[in-house]
Amino acid sequence: MFSFFKKKNSASKAKDRLTIAIMSDRENNVYPFMDEMKAELMEVVKKYIGVKTIDIKKETIDGIEALSIEVELDK
Amino acid sequence: MGSIIAVISGKGGVGKTTTTANVGLGIAINGKRCVVVDFDIGQRNLDMILGLENRVVFDIVQVMDGEASVKQALIKSKFNENLFFLAASQTKDKSVLDSQKIKTLVEDLKNEFDYVILDAPAGIESGYEHTIEFADSAIIVVNPEVSSIRDADRAIGILDSKSQKVKDGKEVVKYLIINRIDPKMVQSGEMLTSEDILDILSIPLIGKVPEDRGIIDASNQGKPIIMDKNSPAGQAYKRISIRICGEMVPMEDIESVQAGFIDKIKGIFK
Repeated sequence: MFSFFKKKNSASKAKDRLTIAIMSDRENNVYPFMDEMKAELMEVVKKYIGVKTIDIKKETIDGIEALSIEVELDK
Repeated sequence: MGSIIAVISGKGGVGKTTTTANVGLGIAINGKRCVVVDFDIGQRNLDMILGLENRVVFDIVQVMDGEASVKQALIKSKFNENLFFLAASQTKDKSVLDSQKIKTLVEDLKNEFDYVILDAPAGIESGYEHTIEFADSAIIVVNPEVSSIRDADRAIGILDSKSQKVKDGKEVVKYLIINRIDPKMVQSGEMLTSEDILDILSIPLIGKVPEDRGIIDASNQGKPIIMDKNSPAGQAYKRISIRICGEMVPMEDIESVQAGFIDKIKGIFK
């Protein structure tokens, strides 16, 4: 009988799931211009030294947002 | 000098075009000169919602290509003389859009109107990016539903990195509209509350619009729901339009007003 009065709670489930999904979305795709920037950096570095790949990540270290750019050189 | 507002959502089908039509008309009713522009190239729809599909002679692409003047392409609303409409092209695709041409067009419109409202295409592709490029502010339309909210967050992310205003070190003003709220479902815990949505997206709310069966009827007729004085959604759009014009209107608690007797009894046992 009490199940009749029981509150359905799928909204709170939605909130929890969304909060997590959006947090990870924001971390992974913060800058939609990432690919463009990567290509431009590649061009610049290539002028001086052979490059194999460039990897750019956004990181938050001690509350400070930073871009870490990893340049793998071509042998 | 007018202000450019982009209406965006990320996900399709949440009520972007309905919002554009009603907010545009609401602003016009409020005495400001307003133009609504359909930026959904290839999928023109705002003309139908405004009941102007038979009057379109020139479209936005023809204006940008210099085949027609802005004046020739603007269509006056049937419902208010302050509201004008510029149609999307139905035959071309979004690849015809070009930043410089868009800039010229929106600058022209800004000189003529107090508010220039751009109805963005769904998605976050180039057509969307072009719509937000020169926006001063954005209306983000969401439904209280997970996929809509997640997609909106992505669209906001792009707005915050690709719009000209942000590149100039300024901020694009954001207004959230929560559309198609079902008060009964919110009360029974089956639908996200507006507080939940604000927590997740953390952008300011400009209005809540209840689910309203009259919306379909309004689009069948080509007469925006704001013209119907008895419609809850129409009244919500009216309040939103007044807020956009800078006047204070208290936020209506549409999530609990429709509580019926049975719901209240149930509430006691929660």
